[in-house]
Parts: sequence; C-alpha cells; structure tokens
Amino acid sequence: MADIAIATPSRYPGKSRALWMIASRRWPAIAAVLGLVVIWEIITAGFHVPSYMAPSPVEVLAAFRDNGQTLWTNVWPTVFEALLGFFFGNLVAIVVAVWFVHSPTAERAFYPVAVFMHTVPIIALAPILVLLFGNGFTPKIIIAALICFFPTLVNMVRGLRAVSPAALDLMRVLSAKKSEIFWKLRLPSSLPFLFAALKIAATTCVIGAIVAEWIGSSFGLGALIIEATYNFRSSLLYATVLVAALLAVLLFSIVSLAEARLIRWKSPVVG
Amino acid sequence: MNQLAVELTRQAGAHPAISVENLDVVFGAGGKGVTALAGVNVTIPTGGLVTMLGPSGCGKSTLLRALADLVPAAAGEISIFGRSPRLAREARDFAFVFQDATLLPWRSAIDNVRLPLEVGGGAPKHADPAELLDLVGLKGREKALPEELSGGMRQRVAIARALVTRPRILLMDEPFGALDEITRDKLNEELLRIWQETGTTIVFVTHSIPEAVFLGQKVLVLAANPGRVREYVPVELPFPRRLKVRDTLEFVQITAHLRQLLEEC
Repeated sequence: MADIAIATPSRYPGKSRALWMIASRRWPAIAAVLGLVVIWEIITAGFHVPSYMAPSPVEVLAAFRDNGQTLWTNVWPTVFEALLGFFFGNLVAIVVAVWFVHSPTAERAFYPVAVFMHTVPIIALAPILVLLFGNGFTPKIIIAALICFFPTLVNMVRGLRAVSPAALDLMRVLSAKKSEIFWKLRLPSSLPFLFAALKIAATTCVIGAIVAEWIGSSFGLGALIIEATYNFRSSLLYATVLVAALLAVLLFSIVSLAEARLIRWKSPVVG
Repeated sequence: MNQLAVELTRQAGAHPAISVENLDVVFGAGGKGVTALAGVNVTIPTGGLVTMLGPSGCGKSTLLRALADLVPAAAGEISIFGRSPRLAREARDFAFVFQDATLLPWRSAIDNVRLPLEVGGGAPKHADPAELLDLVGLKGREKALPEELSGGMRQRVAIARALVTRPRILLMDEPFGALDEITRDKLNEELLRIWQETGTTIVFVTHSIPEAVFLGQKVLVLAANPGRVREYVPVELPFPRRLKVRDTLEFVQITAHLRQLLEEC
C-alpha cells in the first residue's frame, strides 16, 4: 500500500494521499503482521518443522496457487450459508425484539427460551439439525442464523427501549400514534444498538456456517478444513482458515460501512 | 354556528386560555398516593405570559404537565379554551417545550421542526419551518444535526418545533434551566420578542426568580407539601422589556417580595 502511494504521487494526487494517510496511520499494524509472518517463516525453516505439522508462509502461499480452484468452489457454499443465516437470524431477532417490546407477556414467556437456546453449545446443536434436515444447506443456514439470533435480540430489545421519557412525552403531546412512535422514534434510536449486534453477527455467521459444515458435509470451507486435516494437507488447511477469516473480515467491513453511512449521529440517546 | 364563528367567539375571549378549578393531582394509587397538587385555582388570559415559580417539589412542573394532558387530574377541572386537556392536545391547541431540547439526533434542525406536522394526523394549520428557524435566529443551520449545535441552539430548535403547529398556548417547563446565564438572558429576550410577534399565550415554569419576573406579566408562586398556589403576583413592568429592566427599583422590589414568599413556603 505504501509503495503504491509513493510510486504514483503525481498521477493520482488525491487518491494516493488518501492511501498514504491510511498507510501512515496503519503502518504499525502492517509492520506487526509482516513481522509475525517473517518470524513464522524463520521458525518453520530454522527448526525444520515438518510441513504437515506447521507449514511455512511460503508453503501456504503455494497452497493458494495449487488449490485455487478447490478453495474457490468451496468458498461459495459457505458465503451462501453465512449470508442467508445472517439475514434470517437477524430478521427473526428484530421481529421478536419488536414483539417483546410491545408485549411484556411474550417477553416473560419466551425470553427464558431464548436464553436457554443461547446456552446450548452450537457445536452440539449441529448434529441434531443434520439429523433433522439432512446434509443440504438447511441445517447450515439454521446454525448460522441461530448464532446471530441472540446477540441481536438482546441488543435490539435494549435499543428499542433506549428512548428517553422526555421523547415519549413529546410524542404524547403531539398525539402520535403507537405506530408513529415506533417508526419515528423507537426504530431510529435502536439503530446504533442494532449495528453493534450486526457487527458481531457478521463474524459469527461465518463461524456458524463452518461449524455446521464440519458435521456431515461434502462442500464448503468447513468440509475442506476437515478434509485437509485428515489428509495432513496442512498448507491447504491454513489457506482455508485464512479464506474463512478474510470472509468474516469482509462481512464485518460491509456492515461497518453500512453503519457509517446510516448512522451519522454520535449519541444513541435523544437529548 | 359554523367553525369559523366558533373560532372567533373563542378568540374574542369567551373562554380564558386556561382555567384551572380546584385541581388535585395525586401520584400513586390507593392510600399510599402522594398529593402533588391540592386545590389549585388559576386563570391565564388569552395572550398572557405567566411564569410559575416555587421550591422543588411544589408541583409547578406537575401543574404544567397536567395542563398538557401528561398527568391526569385526580379531582377538579382544567379547561383550555373551554376544552379538556385531551381534546385541546388533539386539536393542537398547545405545544410543550421541555427542559432538555429533546431533539431527535438523527434529524437535522429543520426536520426536527417538521416532526409535529408528521405525527398525530398533522396539524390543522402550520407555519413554515424555515421561517421559524429564522425567527429563532438559526437561519443557515437548517441542515445541522443536533449534535452540531450548542445547547442554546438546540433549545431554539425546540422552540421552533413547538411553534410549527401555530399553537395558541406554549407550555414551557424550565426550558432554559440547563443553559449558561449569558445564553439564558439572550433567549429570555428573544422569547419576549417571539411572544409579542406571535401573540401566543405562554406558561413558563422556572426556578429562577429574576427569570420569572423578567418574563412574566404575572408570577404564579406555588408552595410545597402539598403543592398549592401561594400567591399570584402581578409584574407591573412595561413591555417590551430589555435586560436592563432588571436594574430598576421596581424589578428589585418584586424579586425581593418573591424571595420573601419562597422563604415562607
């Protein structure tokens, strides 16, 4: 990044300056990552660590080149499951949160159920869902959705309630209807809370999809992880894990970007 | 009689803007209820500017909230242009200005001013939001988010928002209480200007004696435990008033009298 910025200062003055600023602000992080990779290379080379135990960075890079097609075909099922899980898990969480906020009875009845579901380890739930729904996409999407559900539910309930009494008084003096209070007051003021949860969900939905693929699946990054492990193809394993991490980072960045565009106010509270 | 004639009769003063008779307000149900207001009687004429003053817990905010239909009356009668507070609220007879500006942080200044026109079925008549922001001295800041405005500016937006439905009554609950004194003085002067330009009836709650005297045609002094009317003090100072009126002997005499009253409360 820094090289590009230095190499083309005259041709793209604005863009290169932006890149340069990012580089100058981020150089400690970039240097740290590069340093760790170099240390990793030195350790694996210097101590003659066998490749199946821990591949060197160069070998991992080579795995990307040799298994590019395999990685590419297996990343899409995981993307699909993670995205659908993200969508449905959060959608249901938002709807349930709205229901809870409008019906204390519903909250008293189902909040404990939600907490209980959250305490069941997702990895224990995966086999049950595979038995129920087979080997297709359905159990994976459900697991990815389940893992998104709880944090969003909790945050959304908090967000919808994070309305000051004064703001409610204002709406009452204006004779606002319940639906108007919801759309014009509760929902916008819950957005910062919602996005805090969505950022968590952006990374956990990938985890959910991969964990689900560990159990009885023949496709996806999760299946590739299992296959690479059992066949001692360690460099492929590392490459797959990197792809999974990059996927999570990408989803996180997209959500963060959406947040920055949608929420331009700082304070989450009406004041 | 058609609607217009009804309006004209009202405005001709068939009813005072606000009349309160033997009002009791009780918080909490049953025997444990706390009496916030007991036997309050007060009349506020159309176009008047009355300030309410009293020690903490005297129920001055409660009285204002009862007028605004935010607190129910346990006994007695409140009439706003001859209607109950609920009907008056639905008819947009009054607007309320809170101690905090209570602006929606995701809306720009002008969109905050528009809010009353978007909810509760809109308003029968309304003012131009841009003109109102101009009236409160915020021309050019229409697009600013609340967080980009100072405390004083936010409260100006809140006043513009209150005026957008062209209310006949403005109920103000310590609107300048959280502001520094210089900003407060400036807004006091501007409120008087707005009052004279719009002819709106204003009821203004404050815990500042000079503010109560500077603004009010009359000062309603309340006493605590239970909240009740102590005295309804006329302020015989001519309008338009400037800040320096506070250095006159009359002003000082009235504030001294009020201070005396509050000490006895």
